[in-house]
Amino acid sequence: MTFERRDPSIIRVPPRVRTYAVTKREDAVVIAPQARRFAVQFGLGAKRSAEIAIVVSELATNIAKHGIRGEITLILDDDAPPRGELTVIAKDVGPPIRDLAMATTDHYDDRGPIDPSLILHRGGLGTGLGAVLRLSDRFEYKELEEGKEIRARFFR
Amino acid sequence: MSEDNPQVTVTSERLQKVIQALSFASVDEFEQCLTLLQESDAQDEFRELETAFTIFVQELAEAKRQRERALSRAEAANRELEAKLETIEMQQAAIRELSTPIIEVWTGVLCLPVVGVVDSQRSAEMTETLLEMIVSKQARTAIVDITGIDVMDTKTADHFIKMARAVRLLGAECVISGINPGIAQTLTHIGVDLAGVRTMRNLRDALQFHLRETEQLAAHVKKDHF
Repeated sequence: MTFERRDPSIIRVPPRVRTYAVTKREDAVVIAPQARRFAVQFGLGAKRSAEIAIVVSELATNIAKHGIRGEITLILDDDAPPRGELTVIAKDVGPPIRDLAMATTDHYDDRGPIDPSLILHRGGLGTGLGAVLRLSDRFEYKELEEGKEIRARFFR
Repeated sequence: MSEDNPQVTVTSERLQKVIQALSFASVDEFEQCLTLLQESDAQDEFRELETAFTIFVQELAEAKRQRERALSRAEAANRELEAKLETIEMQQAAIRELSTPIIEVWTGVLCLPVVGVVDSQRSAEMTETLLEMIVSKQARTAIVDITGIDVMDTKTADHFIKMARAVRLLGAECVISGINPGIAQTLTHIGVDLAGVRTMRNLRDALQFHLRETEQLAAHVKKDHF
């Protein structure tokens, strides 16, 4: 009779998922501190958690500004190799980003450079996606059937 | 007429009463309708009709009362919901205000305490509000206190320094207080030109600095006068 040994360490814990709807600028102010709290609970350092809060804030602000409406999803996966990861997903129903390389360049939006004299009126520096790119470990962009999705991943 | 089909004789007065009761019922005057119907004490078949009519009117009156109660309950719930929505809107306005609170701590001294998460849009908003306030309040000093901020993106930090320079261009002094080690490293790392940007350890030092400046200015004016 064969006996199958089971290693208890390979039992997967399902990742924790939290989703927040974003429609207004104020939503970013509410969601970002939550994200920071979850990051700390997940075992990330204080500095890293604050950076995640900035990323969430930038992405949520972008949804409110360009994406019409959407949602921010936080996935805390303990079992993602090698030591677990936190993923921030920003999904919205707005138009796709025309030129990703340009949009992630600082002081550019997806059409080109932002006139410094317009910064005050358009309410932004054009460095938001750049910050997401700088602060996250992986940055992924995907166009959806309706809208688009940005994933920023942080390794533990 | 045959015996199988007996006739009921009703006086015109009773018939009139029932007709009047009906007309009362049609305009929702159930009380008066019921009093009219209860007046009769006859014991014939027509009385049975009156009784059935009475019961019908009573049921109708009860249904009407219940409907009104339900309506008023729904209205109250609606009012409550509207009040809640109003509260939410007010809180959102408060959040917006709180994200860039600028306080005039002294005549001509503006203080902008920055707390929470600073993203690129918020720092642009802060710049706009601060510059406008400096002009409208004719401020001489603006203190930006970032004690509450642990981490900032490099570009946002860069923008803070630019904001300080813009304040100088308006003829006011900008003091940044409470820079923590992490942000200090960020600033030197990106190599921004810190010339002309005054930094202080904390808000208290920044205020003291302003007071000293004001005293010196006052002494100067006095000396020139005499």
